[in-house]
Amino acid sequence: MKPSSFNYHAPTRVEEATALLAEHGDGAKVLAGGQSLVPMLSLRLASFEHLVDLNKVDGLSAIERVNGHLRVGAIVRQAVAEHSADVAASVPLLSKALPHIGHFQIRNRGTVGGSIAHADPASELPAVALALDATIEAAGPGGTRKIAAADFFVSTWQTALADDEILSAVEFPVWGPGSGFAVEELTRRHGDFALAGAVVGVQVSGDTVTKATIGLFGVGPTPLRASAAEAALLSGADAAEAGKVAASHISPVDDIHASGAYRTQVTAVIVRRAIEAALKEARS
Amino acid sequence: MASTISAGRYVGQAVKRLEDPRLLSGHGRYVDDVQLPGMLHVAFVRSNVARGTIVSIDTSAALALPGVRAIYTGADLNPRVGMFWHTMMGPPPELGGQTPYAPLTPLAGGDVRFVGDPIVLIIAENRYIAEDAADLVEVEIDVQQAIVGWETAIDTDQRVHPGTTTNVGQEFPLPEGPEVDALFAGAPHVFTRRFSQCRATNVPMEPRGIIVHYDQYVGDLQIWAATQSVSEWKATSSRLTGVPEHRVKVVANDVGGGFGQKMMMTRDEAAVVMAAHLFGEAPIKWTEDRRESLMAANQGREEIIDVTFAVTDEGVLLGAKVFFWEDIGAYPASAGSTAGMAGAVFPGPYKFPVVLPGGSSVYTNTVGKAAYRGPWMMETVAREQMMDHIAYELGIDPIEIRRRNVIHADDLPYTTCTTMVYDSVTPSETLEQALEMLDVAAFRTMQADARAEGRLLGMGVAIYIEPSAVAFGILSSDQAIMRMDNSGKVIVAMSTGNHGQSLETTIPQIVAEHLGCNIEDVLLVQGNTESSPTGPGTGGSRSAVVAGGAAMNAALKMKDKIVQIAAHMLEASPDDMEVNAGVVSVKGTPAKALPFAMIAPVAYQMPEMLPPGMEMGLEVTARFQPAGQYTWSNATHVCTVEIDPETGMTKILRYIVSEDCGRMVNPMVVEGQIAGGVVQGIGGVLFENMIYDEDGNPLATTFLDYLIPTAPEVPDIEVGHIVTLAPGQTGFKGMGEGGAIAAPPCLANAIHDALRHLGVHPTAFPLGPSQLLTMMNEAKQA
Repeated sequence: MKPSSFNYHAPTRVEEATALLAEHGDGAKVLAGGQSLVPMLSLRLASFEHLVDLNKVDGLSAIERVNGHLRVGAIVRQAVAEHSADVAASVPLLSKALPHIGHFQIRNRGTVGGSIAHADPASELPAVALALDATIEAAGPGGTRKIAAADFFVSTWQTALADDEILSAVEFPVWGPGSGFAVEELTRRHGDFALAGAVVGVQVSGDTVTKATIGLFGVGPTPLRASAAEAALLSGADAAEAGKVAASHISPVDDIHASGAYRTQVTAVIVRRAIEAALKEARS
Repeated sequence: MASTISAGRYVGQAVKRLEDPRLLSGHGRYVDDVQLPGMLHVAFVRSNVARGTIVSIDTSAALALPGVRAIYTGADLNPRVGMFWHTMMGPPPELGGQTPYAPLTPLAGGDVRFVGDPIVLIIAENRYIAEDAADLVEVEIDVQQAIVGWETAIDTDQRVHPGTTTNVGQEFPLPEGPEVDALFAGAPHVFTRRFSQCRATNVPMEPRGIIVHYDQYVGDLQIWAATQSVSEWKATSSRLTGVPEHRVKVVANDVGGGFGQKMMMTRDEAAVVMAAHLFGEAPIKWTEDRRESLMAANQGREEIIDVTFAVTDEGVLLGAKVFFWEDIGAYPASAGSTAGMAGAVFPGPYKFPVVLPGGSSVYTNTVGKAAYRGPWMMETVAREQMMDHIAYELGIDPIEIRRRNVIHADDLPYTTCTTMVYDSVTPSETLEQALEMLDVAAFRTMQADARAEGRLLGMGVAIYIEPSAVAFGILSSDQAIMRMDNSGKVIVAMSTGNHGQSLETTIPQIVAEHLGCNIEDVLLVQGNTESSPTGPGTGGSRSAVVAGGAAMNAALKMKDKIVQIAAHMLEASPDDMEVNAGVVSVKGTPAKALPFAMIAPVAYQMPEMLPPGMEMGLEVTARFQPAGQYTWSNATHVCTVEIDPETGMTKILRYIVSEDCGRMVNPMVVEGQIAGGVVQGIGGVLFENMIYDEDGNPLATTFLDYLIPTAPEVPDIEVGHIVTLAPGQTGFKGMGEGGAIAAPPCLANAIHDALRHLGVHPTAFPLGPSQLLTMMNEAKQA
């Protein structure tokens, strides 16, 4: 479990980082918190001639309010975001999802941007980004561009980032009053990747649900939006019905921890539970 | 009867572990911490297929890599092997012994037999280069269909070990018993079940590791290893290499757990020994990494047990037939099978009139079977689940059926139908204590209330009797070599090892208690063949009983000599002396006293002051041999669970153990051993599953997939003690394995109790959420 040799680069400016990526193409890989990449290198499941470390790059570790969004820099540590009052006040769903990531030691090093760029379909943060219609800011040699989360997650560990781009920030929309959020996930043990997970946001006016979003993780090749279940909820369906609708649109695969049929069955349950919890919070 | 045993100054006290400041602050010294001048590093090229013929091995590119010092294949090392067998098990039949070993070679020779089979050994300047070189070795294998699963192995005409006539390793046929058949034919009820447990692995925190230096100029073979038994490894290394045994030195410093996996030298370690002997230039180190540990270190537990019980209407046991099927992989440690032991102890805590046991162990193209904490425990797994299945069939409470069959104090001494003799066991007492700790009535009320809300609660019970300190062959005894130095401090050297048993604390407790000195004046030296006596090492729940007995005997001998010297110096009778806190004094005259520090110099330097005829010096040796082949301890486990009816997730609410291990040297250590075992047992039911696909690929080769329980999954473990003394001087009974023996059926029974009203009757581990929800779905549809 020793990685093969690589050249280590520690740029201090975004332009340097993207220039290195442009120079080395797919022979280079971005290193952020290293919580996924380093084990893959050690197991020799992946190898790269060049690692471009973002940890010393200026300007990637801010959490700030920008134009009705919360902008989280690429190398903001998950633990920092987890304990940030700004995050808790502006994007409660992110706050609620973060403690589910691994263990605190992992969150001390792992980054918000790294988790989203790694795009593991069983991870919490990609589902949060997708559910909240977050915007991913990508920096490349020619400047930055913005990518909607809906367009960002292409397949397992595959994103819309080009080889010479880094994820420089994520912008999460801030919801208004009357909102409620919940995260429900099933794991074999505390801190494991989810067998199935759901993130839910709702906004209510009186008894009416005026806004609903449901993101699923661990049940497909990418995080998924349960759009039909959202529509059902907005049309007056109850949480249990919405859960069933969400489950009817997925086809997760078997692995050694649970069958696809299991994941489908429990998705209806956790979506229901998450909606119930989110509604309770919205109405409180 | 339970009795209250008063604690001594040290024995019976929860003395804090003397090794903890070192271990808990990260200053333990494991194999990977040992750095030697000029040391080189080993990596293996392992098979990535489960079965096939090696067509070619090309090491040229790897040899050309700068930093690579040597590369060996099976053709280089295997023919140099003298003999490869283990002292504890004796030689193989072709050398006059009885143990049917698998055909052991250090490296694969001609064919590969499991994924992870070591093919090539690389020696390089560091592990990075060694692994780079491993990537450059090209091995061409003509792949054959793997033999996976015991039933496949029995049915196929293909052989795991080419050239052999069967895939069966060992077979113990079910004894013929016409009278038993008649008994079953006439019994009011006969029930049959098949129970199975999935494969688990020992997961020592420190994987295997070994450093070997053959000094070809001196002729010494020096080894540092993560082993449970330095004596075993010294002898095995001598037999492998032909280096005379007295020229082999083995050191095991701190060892990060073994659980049976490190009792006997495995092929990979033997390959390092052979490679170092051939290489001769410098010490070489192999530190097994976690992926290798999960893929290639011996594993345990994959067993299927067929049980048939005959019972009366009241649930009184009339007899049992039991047959153990074991998947022992390709290269099990020793012979792999534990069916003989499992059959012998199958009656456990119950009064079975007759038990007929049989078993068959089967080679497959998977990792070999290891001893794993309670290696024979499939008997308790089957028996204790069967008791519940029978209880439900007959409409009797599982507690009540146990009360009707359990051995009571007035049955003792009790000889089981399999000829095991119990002298001081308390299965009935521990059952009642555990149930009282739970408050069964309160739980049943809570369970009923919860069920009315659609929630699923259950409770399980399991009782067992543990055959600790098994005494046969080299396991029959242990020795203590004790010396007091000039300043009155004591060093006791033993064959034991330190892989988590706290002997660095408990042996000094025993010595200080019986010698009459302070614990800080006693040091245990272990894990070193140069200073310690030959012996079996630590394993099989033996050290408290056998090593503890030897330590006590040595302390008493030493005390006797000290007292004689002091009495002579004080001109008093030895019979009038007392010893306390390192001071010998005349009873009733505390002013007439001598500390050890004034007596010891006399023994070493002033022969004229010694009693006439007494030999100088303060060295004693003593041995302890238990009276019986087994020293029986026992316990009852009770737990409660809640299962989420919608997800199949199990939460353990309470876990209770009532145990009797005789006189406790250190209750804190006893409870730590229980907790560790229980956690492993929980893992075997809910989490751990070392699963292979049909081509023999292991599917759980990282901790992402091989799930061991962590702190949030484990409840507080509540322990009650009942103390009845073991026969003999010390009163100690071994108890290192019991937690892992009873926890699996106890937890399975609790799950069964929570789900049985739905028509769910589990018999196979794992019982993870996916399995439980599937069973609930099927029951709903039925």
